[in-house]
Amino acid sequence: MLKVLLVDQSMKRSMPLKQALTEVGYEVVGRISDCADLNQVVAKLQPDVIVIDVDSPSRDTLEHIVVSGQDTPRPIVMFTHDGDVDKIRSATKVGVSAYVVGGLESARIRPIIDAAMARFEEFSVMKQELQSVTLKLSERKNVERAKGVLMKQKGLSESEAYNLMRKMAMDRNIKLADLAQQLVEAASLLL
Amino acid sequence: MSDAKETKANESSGTNHERRNFFKLGATALGASAMMGLIPGGIRSSAWAAGSDAPEKTEVKIGFIPLTDCAPIVVAAQMGFDKKYGIKITPSKEASWAAIRDKTVNGELDAAHVLYGLVYGVQMGIGGQQKDMSLLMTLNHNGQGITLSNQVKDKGVTSGATLKRLIDNENRDYTFAQTFPTGTHAMWLYYWLAAYGINPIKDVKTIVVPPPQMVANMRVGNMDGYCVGEPWNARAIYDKVGYTVATSQDIWTDHPEKVLGTTAEFVQKNPNTARAMIMAILDACRYIDATANRAAVAKLIAGKAYVNAPEEVIEGRFLGHYDNGNGKKWEDPNYMKFFEDGKVNFPYLSDGMWFLTQHKRWGLLKDDPDYLAIAKKINRIELYTEAATQLKIAVPKDAMRSSKLIDGIVWDAKDPKAYAAGFKIKA
Repeated sequence: MLKVLLVDQSMKRSMPLKQALTEVGYEVVGRISDCADLNQVVAKLQPDVIVIDVDSPSRDTLEHIVVSGQDTPRPIVMFTHDGDVDKIRSATKVGVSAYVVGGLESARIRPIIDAAMARFEEFSVMKQELQSVTLKLSERKNVERAKGVLMKQKGLSESEAYNLMRKMAMDRNIKLADLAQQLVEAASLLL
Repeated sequence: MSDAKETKANESSGTNHERRNFFKLGATALGASAMMGLIPGGIRSSAWAAGSDAPEKTEVKIGFIPLTDCAPIVVAAQMGFDKKYGIKITPSKEASWAAIRDKTVNGELDAAHVLYGLVYGVQMGIGGQQKDMSLLMTLNHNGQGITLSNQVKDKGVTSGATLKRLIDNENRDYTFAQTFPTGTHAMWLYYWLAAYGINPIKDVKTIVVPPPQMVANMRVGNMDGYCVGEPWNARAIYDKVGYTVATSQDIWTDHPEKVLGTTAEFVQKNPNTARAMIMAILDACRYIDATANRAAVAKLIAGKAYVNAPEEVIEGRFLGHYDNGNGKKWEDPNYMKFFEDGKVNFPYLSDGMWFLTQHKRWGLLKDDPDYLAIAKKINRIELYTEAATQLKIAVPKDAMRSSKLIDGIVWDAKDPKAYAAGFKIKA
């Protein structure tokens, strides 16, 4: 069974990857932040594969461990912060072809990379979804506030205020949320 | 500048030579001022702007690591030297040398502020995929250092010789950190230790720690010493965790350090962009080396987007004011230099060959490579000469230089194989 070490700034992000790797039968010997002393951790845990973020400052530490051969050379799988699959592929290409040595065929590492990439992409999608939900919430708040401004200033009912805002947004060819924000900002300046 | 050099530069640029002559004649016939009026202000200073001499790629992303010597890249972009030559430089802060290497190799970065030895390591396929590399110019000399921890200081260690005595007398594991296996700091550290009879491979343990984390790691007792670029040696003193036992200029006065590196493929596809980058960064190096500008540059690079360290930590040594943190203060004439009338920037073949000899010495290369042929392939002397000549910056006649290092051994590149094999201490 291959021993895998996960190194990531975000413990939250590496959690699902750990579960996925454990489910398909890898032994995850450690899941550490990239501020930890990798030299000691690698010497102690002796992982066969290390999964690390491509933008982690600790990558140079691993380079030295591998090149100086102080411990058995081991493949390093990397994943990146953005969901650009080409970028991930080129990074993993450099990393994996660089570190695969005797005994570990790339066929055995492939599933780990695939799992890392799949989990990472999922995480990116989740992050995007979270962002869009947060955005929608703040947009709705602005619409409510703008509606209130119009009702108060123009003596309109709630539905009249809403219809007026829709018409103004359509006339200006902008989104309702953007119009609402402009109204709120203008109101805060003028009133 | 010698006439011979100019002839050589023009020969290598073929049709550009004719176009430039045409341009010169045209300028004379029409009168310089009339001619200048026809050219947009931003590119007036560059004769390369005409026709197909224009940069193939006008926006370039140049990677850097937060270190004092990233200044040329930052200044070239921030002070607008790039625009003079028809390009826009976007500096891109990277987290590791490994990332700089990978992104340069796969084209995500067009070029990078990079360790001299790393470029040669990639060319030789040490620890990664082999890729043909190009070194466009040297960015700086000097300005790195070796820091020892307070624990070692408390044992009475003040020098390499007293460190050797401690290691001989007190039997424990000693750990020293550097920044990248094939890089400059590894080579300065190994060379310095070996000069005092300490074998860096057999007598001590070496590790790599990212430069901004050096001080924190020393504080928790993870290491006895480290070799790194400034400001991280000055920072150890500022934070009272260690002191400077040697500067890199003590090891090799005017040693080559960071370079502007890219792939051979990039230069082949974008020779004019490569030349424009050299010109913009040469201008920046000249600007930084003017004493009057140094304080402002220190302030600029101290920012969070660049080195992200207190200005006072960067400024002292950047201006040549040294304090070793152990009672010695001095004005160092050999502080970090970026220009010196172009002497810093010329990509001497002997500099590149030296790194190969050390890679061989420490077992990173199994066999002797063709030292001279590899250096000639990587260091783009013709391109540099074209750029420097345009800026009226002198180019040395000889692509080899001779230096005596800290152990008294002279490196003149005449017999690299014998030099590499001649060290008593090696892997």
